[in-house]
Amino acid sequence: MILFVWVLSLFGFQAEQQDTVRLQEIEVNAAVFETFGLGKKQLNWDKAALENYQSRSLSELLQEKSPLFIRQYGPGMLASPNFRGTSAGHTAVFWNGIPINSPSLGQSDLSIIPLAAPDRIDLIFGSDGALLGNEALGGSILLQSQANFQESPTASISQEVGSFGQSATAFQAGFSGEKLAFQTKIYSQKAENDYTFRDLSLPGTPEKTQTHAAFSQKGIQQDIAWRINPSQRLNTSFWYNEADRKIQPPMGSSTQDIQEDQSFRLSLAYLKFWNKSSLEIRSGWVRDDQVFNQSFIQTSSFFLSGDWEGEIGKEWKIRLGSRGTHIQGNLSTYSSTDQRLETYQFIRFSGLNNINLFLNLRQLVVDQKWQPLLPSLGMDWILSPSFSLKASVSKGLKVPTLNDRFWEPGGNPELLPEESWQGETGLRWNKGFFHSELTFFAMDVENWIIWIPKGAIWSPDNIRRVRNTGIEWAGGTEFAMGSTRLKIDLAYNYTQAINQSNSEESPTFWNRQLPYTPVHQAQGGVELIRDGYSFRLSSQYIGQRATTLDHSRIMDAYSLTQLHLNYKKLWLGPVQVPISLRIENLFNKSYQVLYLRPMPGRSIHLNLKIQL
Amino acid sequence: MTKNLFKPFLISFLAVSLFACSESEPERPLGEYEQGILIMNEGAFGANDGEVFHLNTNTDELKSNIFELENGRPFAGLLQDMILEEDRLYLVANTGKVEIVDARDFKSIGSVTENLDVPRSLVANSDKLFISDYGPYESDFSTPNSYIAVVQSLDGGTVSKKIPVSRKPEDMINAGRYILVAGSEEGKVEVIDAQTEEIFKTIDVEGRPMMFFEANGLVYLYSIASEEVIFYSFHLDNFTLRTTNYYPIVNATGKIAISPEGVAYMLTSSGWPDYQDGVAKLALFDSEIDLDWHNGSGFYGISYDPLLREIYLTNSNGFQGNGTVTVLDEQAIERRTYEVGRGPSGFLFR
Repeated sequence: MILFVWVLSLFGFQAEQQDTVRLQEIEVNAAVFETFGLGKKQLNWDKAALENYQSRSLSELLQEKSPLFIRQYGPGMLASPNFRGTSAGHTAVFWNGIPINSPSLGQSDLSIIPLAAPDRIDLIFGSDGALLGNEALGGSILLQSQANFQESPTASISQEVGSFGQSATAFQAGFSGEKLAFQTKIYSQKAENDYTFRDLSLPGTPEKTQTHAAFSQKGIQQDIAWRINPSQRLNTSFWYNEADRKIQPPMGSSTQDIQEDQSFRLSLAYLKFWNKSSLEIRSGWVRDDQVFNQSFIQTSSFFLSGDWEGEIGKEWKIRLGSRGTHIQGNLSTYSSTDQRLETYQFIRFSGLNNINLFLNLRQLVVDQKWQPLLPSLGMDWILSPSFSLKASVSKGLKVPTLNDRFWEPGGNPELLPEESWQGETGLRWNKGFFHSELTFFAMDVENWIIWIPKGAIWSPDNIRRVRNTGIEWAGGTEFAMGSTRLKIDLAYNYTQAINQSNSEESPTFWNRQLPYTPVHQAQGGVELIRDGYSFRLSSQYIGQRATTLDHSRIMDAYSLTQLHLNYKKLWLGPVQVPISLRIENLFNKSYQVLYLRPMPGRSIHLNLKIQL
Repeated sequence: MTKNLFKPFLISFLAVSLFACSESEPERPLGEYEQGILIMNEGAFGANDGEVFHLNTNTDELKSNIFELENGRPFAGLLQDMILEEDRLYLVANTGKVEIVDARDFKSIGSVTENLDVPRSLVANSDKLFISDYGPYESDFSTPNSYIAVVQSLDGGTVSKKIPVSRKPEDMINAGRYILVAGSEEGKVEVIDAQTEEIFKTIDVEGRPMMFFEANGLVYLYSIASEEVIFYSFHLDNFTLRTTNYYPIVNATGKIAISPEGVAYMLTSSGWPDYQDGVAKLALFDSEIDLDWHNGSGFYGISYDPLLREIYLTNSNGFQGNGTVTVLDEQAIERRTYEVGRGPSGFLFR
């Protein structure tokens, strides 16, 4: 039915399309973290930046374009983020303002977040429980999708084919008027992942073909926005995603595990604007079904929040809000519910010359237990036209997951929340064609939860205290040479995540860098753009990683290089046909992100798009 | 496991004694790993980082990852059992393979890498290998198709036959041309004729049969139940139960070490909420029990060194990194400790 509407609407708007200029939405509604999340390192990719990644996953984008280390068990397999040396469960992930981490596992699998769905992605580095809530210890990932008003109708379909049985199809269409805006995205991705690798587990280390790593994923996202009147709006989005995977075993194992994931996500937001204030009522529903072999897991979360934001004079901006969450988990070994209530206030003060200050506070109550108050304090200071300084101090918190508390056997209902304190300061510099940003952070994470065997049973406990410190630098330049534009971007990260002494662990584990946390990471890229052509060569370096806490095995550093070639000015009559070629692992490096988990060699991918 | 420690020790001891007494045999230099203690490190689930360490008891030098060191590739499996048969050392990985190395220098001499699922242990009999295997896990994690895999060469090769047995077979022991199999889930001991490769007889037992061992010239079986442990001995002429003895030792985990005099040291674990681990001591031939011989947490494996009469107790350290071995004397006094590999679970004293 939706497709039928699109077809009708596309034909209906066909004549208009040729001479209509795309307009950006006039009504600016800045994201909350942009207004109140000062003093922190942030990165974002907008719709244009994501265009070349529509056939890929969030995990691939972050590996290529961000300083995060992604722990990946194979192509299309479980991939989890490592922000500033924290664990996968220390990253909050939001879609249209609602948390989408699994309540049972407390994390998201970035391989099954396809980039065909979001229009914008933001990364916020470091702890910020006051602004973002539960799980924002190491960092946060925010996905946004929204239908915009008064845009020309658009439709596109893209098809990609690549090595190792990879293919991806993405359809996108949108139309809008003054009152209503629609956007639909339908996608399908699959990969046989039948690449060859040297099997180190067998005598003679023969070359073998991967036979149990096939991946397929499909989904639909529908965004609808309704401008009820100039001061009221309703935004709603629905996202369904399903993924089927043959779980790639490590070398030396021949397990034939199969995993199916289905996610239903719904967000609904009502916004009311007054002259100097606004009201936002937001609700959301997330249901995740997972079948691992025959074991069934279902979790669902319902959210309802209300926020008021207003200006007091010219200098103060305040946001007050509350959110209630109901979580239900039905797993193979337990069923449980969780009720959460949180209230927060954000204050921004702009009364000092070139300095913006903020103070944010959040109080969370979980199942009638008061959690520690979460404050954050920070500033942005424009020192000169070229220099600006940012600084912040903030606390983060992670409530133990449903599995942590209720898994049978071994769940520990007495667990304390994991807590972090982080300080961060950074210097930004922009001059002419050049830009540079240097950030220093220091963070302590306490009550770090670890599952350990106790007799024959594994059980979680608050065991570790970890001190994370590091330096993040990113810089680059962009300028024109005649009709050719040249972009260069570089980044380097130094991350220490040191396990502190504790009474529960062997002294051989003390004062050691956490496993699978590279101290050194770097990346760089060069891009040339001319007459519709673009050429980009990018590379990432991942330093050595220990596989265990005592560093008894150190994995080699590796670097990967990609080549992107695009041509956007191919027209077939009225139809634009952008074409792109991508080569991943250009130098065919043999590498493992995690021990004994082989990754694919060189692969070539051709993408053709038909854009109306 | 104890069977695998005690018997090889005796074989090695006798072999060394015979060579020492024979003036006509030329002296052969000992291989690097023929002396000392081989430490079996199981590895962590999902990481497949099982390995063998070697402790030179003359120099106290501990050499790590000797399979990878001598063969230029990682073991890449979860090391479930380590069996010495003459000069061959069989490394059984429950991730689906058996590596065979020369016990003197640890160089690979063969393997069984196909048609195994979850191998648990191995015996050599009638110039063949018999490998107990849980069989494939069903989607509900049951293992209805457990078997004993037969390989026609002591140097490995392909699986020629799978003999169906009761669910979750664990330890095995030779009795002439017959092999006794501990069927841990259904409480059975299956007797396999190694020559016909068929089940000759099935003996029903109580509890979960875990391990065979030899003491006082008899073959014993250690079986565990929630409130007690049971020791069986067998008539090996007609494969019937000879003795059955129950002892009130609760929460036994199935890990056991046996001295040549028949003193058993058994790991116990209280479970939730205290998770208190312990070692219970039982003198099999005078029924003396010490339920609190040693207490602690994180215990993972136990073994008995018949040369120095010491007990080797391992701690997995939560599998977060390398494990620890604590050496205790027979009065439970700590003598020394070693940092070994990940998930240390067994030893071979040579």
